[in-house]
Amino acid sequence: MQPILSLTHVSKHYAMPGGSDVVCLESVSLSVDRGQFVSVQGPSGSGKTTLLLTIGGMQRPSSGQVVVAGHNLYALSPGARTKFRATHLGFVFQMFHLVPYLNVIENICLGANSEADAREQARVLAERLGIGQRLQHKPSRLSVGECQRTALARALIAKPELILADEPTGNLDPENTEEVLQVLAQYCQQGGSVLLVTHGEEARRYADRRLRLEQSHLG
Amino acid sequence: MRTTALLIWKELLHHWGNFLLGAAALTVAVGLCVALAITETASQRETRRVTRDLGFNLRIIPRETDMEQFYLAGYSEQTMPESAMDELAKVKRFSYNHLVASLQKKFLLEGHPVLLMGISGERAPPGKKHPPMIFSVETGSVHVGHEIARLLKLKKGDTLLLGGQRFRVARTMPETGTVDDIRVIGLLSDVQRLLGLEGQINEIKAIDCLCLTTDANPQAILQNQLRQALPEARVVMQSSIAEARARQRQMTEKYATFVMGAVLLVAAAWIGALAIINVRQRYGEIGLFRALGYGSGRIGSLILGRAVLIGLLAALSGYFLGTWLALTWAPEIFPVTARAIQPLPRLLPWAMLATPLLAAVASLIPAAIAITQDPADVLRQN
Repeated sequence: MQPILSLTHVSKHYAMPGGSDVVCLESVSLSVDRGQFVSVQGPSGSGKTTLLLTIGGMQRPSSGQVVVAGHNLYALSPGARTKFRATHLGFVFQMFHLVPYLNVIENICLGANSEADAREQARVLAERLGIGQRLQHKPSRLSVGECQRTALARALIAKPELILADEPTGNLDPENTEEVLQVLAQYCQQGGSVLLVTHGEEARRYADRRLRLEQSHLG
Repeated sequence: MRTTALLIWKELLHHWGNFLLGAAALTVAVGLCVALAITETASQRETRRVTRDLGFNLRIIPRETDMEQFYLAGYSEQTMPESAMDELAKVKRFSYNHLVASLQKKFLLEGHPVLLMGISGERAPPGKKHPPMIFSVETGSVHVGHEIARLLKLKKGDTLLLGGQRFRVARTMPETGTVDDIRVIGLLSDVQRLLGLEGQINEIKAIDCLCLTTDANPQAILQNQLRQALPEARVVMQSSIAEARARQRQMTEKYATFVMGAVLLVAAAWIGALAIINVRQRYGEIGLFRALGYGSGRIGSLILGRAVLIGLLAALSGYFLGTWLALTWAPEIFPVTARAIQPLPRLLPWAMLATPLLAAVASLIPAAIAITQDPADVLRQN
């Protein structure tokens, strides 16, 4: 079966004044199968976020190819790439990025592709993630763990083929960390795929494959 | 669609300071424009009313009038039948809005020379109705000019003996610094009886006959029309007055247009600045929307939709504010036509259309900034 994600010799350089380039990724090749949980570990500044943004279609690589669900991402127009992101990818960020003026259920619904049944699906997800009692609360009234679970529900509601998680447990205590990783692992068992980047070891127990990104190289 | 509307509404409430500043600025701008529009209409009416006694558009006088005498005395010594008014009023193609017949003569009142003037009721063209331009006079009463009232120590309600007949002083007119200050105005039939000139007039004053334009020659047109209807009359056009009035009207219109334009421009610039601040405040949020797959159209609609909503609210509140301002202050500025100052409901649909459009146009650049924002820059800030 075709992998859900295939990176082939992807490099990302930033040109700097004075002629020297900053190399974020150097000839990175990676594939993620359907139903697989892959963690990419690396220290700060190793290029983890750049890798995720490149896979997410938000940062064109300097060279190489990014194929997601059979689509060469950067061969698509910007509009088509945006639409692809909405229907095939889900994101979870370290800083949650919740909309401050929307309550929990409204924030979750932001990730839905269709308005029909979105609220019902959001409610079910929220119950499953233990935030069913907080549906009408805004992010300012939630704990850190509840915020991240809201962001997780937002990523899951559209049932994307691939979830990209950028240090999703970076701000969480151990208990919340375990909960988030368990949910992601369950998602993979149900057929979804997860690529998680982190600087810590917490995902080791849940990931099917563990990779290391160091000095722009993936190993 | 529902989600976009929800996002717009909830964001407005969240950033209520920005929203209130923008809505307030637009409300004031719309309010000023509405107030100016209402008062401009009142100003035009006032100008016409105030200049009516400097001379009407046209003075129709007996053909045999000695023009030197006419200009010296201010009236014609010749008379014509009062039926001339009926003939004129019947003419359908005669271009006027109001006609008033009068009989004027010098008169000695308790040793003081006055201009005794009898006026008929105003007439409008057949099939047309216009608000009255001058006051009406009741039989047995007179309106007395300021100087005569002062000399004879007259006040409203006093009895005046004119040519052996008693008249009630209906009003003493305010000081004008013109010949009106020595005028005594009564009903035409009363003055005709006093002067022994029953059924006679020496002038028909016509208001708003034709606007003075650079292209038209209204006097020639009117002369042609009148020759057919009234062979015994001639037309005198007070061009300098009409020109002055037209220039004043044009100046007032230009001034109002300039002020409205300036106010709207400033309001638009303010809205644009607030929209840029709003986009900057929502930097992270817009980056998130991009990550979630919101296209440029949807993100643009969040910014522009916000502007349209502010515009609609401001249009409504601005219309009522402007109407209130005009109704409260315009009567003090335009006392002569105060009672005729009315709201202009036709301005509301225009405001509801133009204000959201103005706000949206002012927000185009901020919307472009939001659309072209790089989401990677925002999302990298972990």
